[in-house]
Amino acid sequence: MKHAPIVGTSVPRMEGRAKVTGEARYVDDMVLPGMLHGATVRSRIPRGKIKKLTLGLGIDWSEFVIVTPSDIPGKNCIALIEDDQPCLADGLVNHPEEPILLLAHPDRHLLPKAVEAVTVEYEPLPAVFSMEESETSQQIVWGADNIFKTYLIEKGDVDTVWQSADHIVEAEYTTGAQEQLYIENNGMIAAFDLQQGLTVWGSLQCPYYIHKALMKLCNLPADRVRVVQMETGGAFGGKEEYPSMIAAHAALLAMKSGKPVKIIYDRMEDMAATTKRHPSRTRHRTAVSRDGRILAGEIDFTIDGGAYKTLSPVVLSRGAIHAGGAYYWPSIRIRAKAVATNMPPHGAFRGFGAPQSLFALERHMDRIAQVVGLSPVEIRRRNFLKPGQTTTTGQTVNEEIDLCKLLDRALELSDYHAKKERFARDNQQSSHKKGMGIAAFLHGAGFTGSGERFLGSVVGVEAIADGSLRILVSSTEFGQGTNTVLCQIVAEALGLRYEDVSIAQPDTHEVPNSGPTVASRTVMVVGKLVQSSAVGIRKTLTASGMLSDSYTPEEFRAACRNYLAKHGKIRSLAQYEQPEGIFWDDEKYRGEAYAAFAWAVYIAEVTTDLTTYSVTVNDFVALQEIGKVLHPVLAKGQIIGGVAQGIGFALYEKVIWENGRMQNGQMTNYIMPTSADLPPIRVYFEELGNVHGAYGAKGIGELPMDGPAPAIVNAIEDALQISFRSIPLLPEDIFAALSESATLETVASTSRGRE
Amino acid sequence: MRAHPAEFELLAPPTLPAVLSLLAHEPGEWLPIAGGTDVMVQYSAGKLAARKLVSIWNLPELRRIEISEDEIRIGAGCTYTDLREHELINREFSLLSTSASWTGGIANQNRGTIGGNIVNASPAADSLPALMLYDTDLLLASARGERRLPYANFHTNYRKTQLAADELIRAICLKRQFSGYYSHARKVGARNAQAIAKVCLAGLGRLASGVIDDLRLAVGSVAPIPMRLTETERIVKGNRIDPHLIQLAKTAAAAEVRPIDDIRSTSRYRAAVVGNLVAEFLEQLSARNAQSERISQVLARWNALQPDKAAEEILPCCGSKAWAIGMAARRPLLDESALVAACDEVWKGLTESDWLEAFRSHPRIGDSHSPAAAQPQSAAWSGEEQRKVGSAGEDIKLALAEGNRAYEQKFNRIFIVCATGKSAPQILEILRRRLQNDEKTELREAAEQQRQIAHLRLRKWLSS
Amino acid sequence: MSQPLLQSAKCEISLTVNGKLETLHVYPMERLLDVLRHDLGLTGTKEGCGEGECGSCSVLIDGMLVNSCLIPALQVNAATIVTIEGLATDGRLQLLQQSFLDCGGAQCGICTPGMILASFHLLKKKPQPTLEEIREGLSGNLCRCTGYMQIFEAVEQAARRGAST
Repeated sequence: MKHAPIVGTSVPRMEGRAKVTGEARYVDDMVLPGMLHGATVRSRIPRGKIKKLTLGLGIDWSEFVIVTPSDIPGKNCIALIEDDQPCLADGLVNHPEEPILLLAHPDRHLLPKAVEAVTVEYEPLPAVFSMEESETSQQIVWGADNIFKTYLIEKGDVDTVWQSADHIVEAEYTTGAQEQLYIENNGMIAAFDLQQGLTVWGSLQCPYYIHKALMKLCNLPADRVRVVQMETGGAFGGKEEYPSMIAAHAALLAMKSGKPVKIIYDRMEDMAATTKRHPSRTRHRTAVSRDGRILAGEIDFTIDGGAYKTLSPVVLSRGAIHAGGAYYWPSIRIRAKAVATNMPPHGAFRGFGAPQSLFALERHMDRIAQVVGLSPVEIRRRNFLKPGQTTTTGQTVNEEIDLCKLLDRALELSDYHAKKERFARDNQQSSHKKGMGIAAFLHGAGFTGSGERFLGSVVGVEAIADGSLRILVSSTEFGQGTNTVLCQIVAEALGLRYEDVSIAQPDTHEVPNSGPTVASRTVMVVGKLVQSSAVGIRKTLTASGMLSDSYTPEEFRAACRNYLAKHGKIRSLAQYEQPEGIFWDDEKYRGEAYAAFAWAVYIAEVTTDLTTYSVTVNDFVALQEIGKVLHPVLAKGQIIGGVAQGIGFALYEKVIWENGRMQNGQMTNYIMPTSADLPPIRVYFEELGNVHGAYGAKGIGELPMDGPAPAIVNAIEDALQISFRSIPLLPEDIFAALSESATLETVASTSRGRE
Repeated sequence: MRAHPAEFELLAPPTLPAVLSLLAHEPGEWLPIAGGTDVMVQYSAGKLAARKLVSIWNLPELRRIEISEDEIRIGAGCTYTDLREHELINREFSLLSTSASWTGGIANQNRGTIGGNIVNASPAADSLPALMLYDTDLLLASARGERRLPYANFHTNYRKTQLAADELIRAICLKRQFSGYYSHARKVGARNAQAIAKVCLAGLGRLASGVIDDLRLAVGSVAPIPMRLTETERIVKGNRIDPHLIQLAKTAAAAEVRPIDDIRSTSRYRAAVVGNLVAEFLEQLSARNAQSERISQVLARWNALQPDKAAEEILPCCGSKAWAIGMAARRPLLDESALVAACDEVWKGLTESDWLEAFRSHPRIGDSHSPAAAQPQSAAWSGEEQRKVGSAGEDIKLALAEGNRAYEQKFNRIFIVCATGKSAPQILEILRRRLQNDEKTELREAAEQQRQIAHLRLRKWLSS
Repeated sequence: MSQPLLQSAKCEISLTVNGKLETLHVYPMERLLDVLRHDLGLTGTKEGCGEGECGSCSVLIDGMLVNSCLIPALQVNAATIVTIEGLATDGRLQLLQQSFLDCGGAQCGICTPGMILASFHLLKKKPQPTLEEIREGLSGNLCRCTGYMQIFEAVEQAARRGAST
């Protein structure tokens, strides 16, 4: 079966044509007959009891559909890990912007005023706005002790090491909230009728999460809830769990009114009310030998989950497992904790805990280097994990990854040593201080531990009337290339052409549950299942005698058509089975945490302008080992896009909070990088293969989020000789640090020559 | 979108008198809207108090730019794009065209107007400090007639101006008396584009016999209205620029401003940055003055040479004899910009074989030896330009050598790239990309690189 | 029916959209973005921010790039408008759309219509832009997915291809 390779080449994006012509249909592009528009009345206080709700004057309320908690047919919750988050606040609010009441009307222009006209009287209760406040337990705002979840990861024997350690290095690192800022705001359309049941269409990542939540909320059986994904304009995790909430709202309005209801957030509402990256605080205490080897460590990793549990336990898990990074820890104790505050619940955002803990670790490695008297390069070389060694959870590295060599390559690509030397010289006379910074890290793809087993993902491949194949998965496309890569895999697996394969729109009536589109699992886990499912089709055809062992794509299609004519349907399903040798202990949090790790070394070159204290990233090298590159253009696009978000995380994207509410919820005031702000981001790949991933691929969607922030802040330290331990790091912060130290005097007297 | 369109009236009278008549009829009732880049944002957010609007977008009377011998009159309805694209504004009022390029992206620059910027009166407006420095007068029009007002007094308090309820700004008038000044403009925002200024500075300076003859500084975002740093100006005037003066000016400027803490920045940061920007301006003023004196000397000497000697001296900048002869023929060239303009003019008239001759004067990227045809100065400059390549790792050098070979095989000449500031890996990527070009495209790209090299070398020559 | 404070009258506007003359009855302060999407069913132009910051709503009015979320309907009476849906008819512009496909310039696609129009506008003004000019020309269009680099490549490729035709 000779054919041109499809996997490994940059085939056209499956839905690309529609996107560049404006034909792609996002949820706000759809209009249904008789459709109403919906809006949400939200809490203005962070915590308190709802005493009275008044529908104000000047509005003809009889024209509006109004939904209160009493209209909820099932349980008033957005089912996720726990049922603690109400769909509508019932008597009690726990965060600003918490939904209280829903309105709908045929004229969308009448809604903003109607929302303003609803007056809520509260009896405010004391609220908690930081992890530290939450930890004092002076105000209990969730559960018995404000703690959503804890984990303890232990390896070796930490306590005996401190006395004998030559160095003990301690520091604390913090990261702030980050808004996903998908350019398409959250939106849903819901319709309900007594025969069909409930249907929702929307911008989303996980149709079956919504399906499960709506069943419980609306008290409907599985076959009378249908969730359909529309073209989705960016997600990054921000549409993993939140869509269940907005879908619930649209559904309730649709059920009450008997009409389709569309809810589309505007930017201000989306920013203020929906999830953000969990703020974090990591405390490191590390025992290090004289020659710079890590002997043991204690890591305290705490994240702020906001007002309800949502996905915080899982974010915490990933952050905790990644807290030790790409290094060998003979002994370690990681205490991880997610606490409650009265902010809107924080949620999934690309990286999902790992960018937070890896920021701390990679900063800490540079600190250890300083204390011990080694370079940032050498400290990493001496501590990198080697094949055969175990991670913090006791997982053996069983691939031939050579991190020292990866580091060497990154150093060469970035011209690291020559630049460092030159900068050290030139910085003395310049008001533009330049520096180089390194981050070396790993990212586990797929669900943690037994997660994939619990998911038990199912995928399908079927033939359609013209004899071509169609993939049936609930895995969604939102720019990262799901559609394209899964079709490539099927075409490759069967020796077909790329155009012989298509993929069904994710619709819970039509596709099985292949798990959520998260955790960098789609290409690796779902792709591998899709590959076997496709092979199943061929097996059926050959077994039926309709297909010989060697065939052309046309012959394959003819065989499918014949089979359909005879049997009516040909569909092959495949379900995830945990591979041998993957053991995970949920109690002790030990074992094989991930089926595969991707490895990376990122290097940033920065300039700090001491006139304005602003940092420019001049050059960025992103080198990673990712198993196999299935689609060069898409893979490169994922890395560049992730690095761009990482640069934002480090230098630009600050959420300004006041009493638990985001104050800068406009694109003007929440700063993401424009085309004028980013450096050339140079991307390089290595491929070691991966037995657990389709065609040897590892997941890469989240990997690029982990490296940029620490690499950049390491580079800033190299430039300024000041250690920053908190991001986002703004010019104002750099100025404050410089003016505190006496350095300002030195700077003033330095001649400000220009090169 | 938080406003109901049905609640708003918008009229678009076709002429200015018709608009003024409406404003006179119901003063304070009608809000003028030009490009809408401020008004429509408030409207969408549900925050626009006005319910009646009158469109002044694209009224011909407001969009003219009239030039007389001593003044330029810019219609208040001129957009930022209009300002950026106007030749005289770029030449004589560069602070205005520069600040116009800061505001929003291209789409907003196509709609936002200078009149709107003034009337909206945000303390962070990018263009207002520039207007303060140019001795601007405003022409205000109403049904009652026209009046002329110095812009310096126009802003009275936070978002409050002297504009009467029935008035519009018709034009801004700038005196054409600033050609002898150095201009300096700097905006500090949260990012490089689409940022509201944390601080923006406009500066004009003039030196006479090494002493500051006039210095003007205006700053935005550090007070309720854009402000002139009159105290700092006073301290600096009449003095030579030296480190002591710069430090004095820096401290004075930081103390003179009245910034606040807000959603974008802190007052301490803003004050410090103002001081730094003023210091930076003075340093640049001093350096540019010194440089321009040097350049004048180099050019004066070269302008006086015999044509063949002049062509010989300038040849290493480009390598094409025809170019050198063309440059010599365009003398006298009095300053750097005239020199560069002449370079581009001559460049346009060159033939393909002239370009090839220029290319031949360069060594291969990565080679340490220049071709025999090159002059010593050209070879020296090539060495400097390729400095980064020289220090590259072995395998990159090998890849470059291979790439060069492939290029020469395909195109029959060496690969030309403006190497200054580029690392070896970056050059390699460019080489690989250009290897895919067809002949026509590639020749054009190479010629463009050669032109850039010529610019760089001309500047080096001027500072020698 | 709910009575707003002031009931403004709708007005009639005539404008050419993607080569077709349209006569519409709209409120004068209706946003052009909404007129395109709701009155004309041209949903290719998107709303990302409603404040003229993200550029997803970019269209061309009389050849000029603007943010349609900031344009009142009355101001486009007699204007000629081009949206993403109107680009493919011009042979050269298929180049940009093709280049975006070739180079990975579109990921989630929501910024893509505006980004392509901004690129088109740039190439009209500067047929052979430098990278700096491309960065500046597109600085009013935010993209969260790509990190911009493959968009720059797409514009450069379209410029190269356009020049050699």
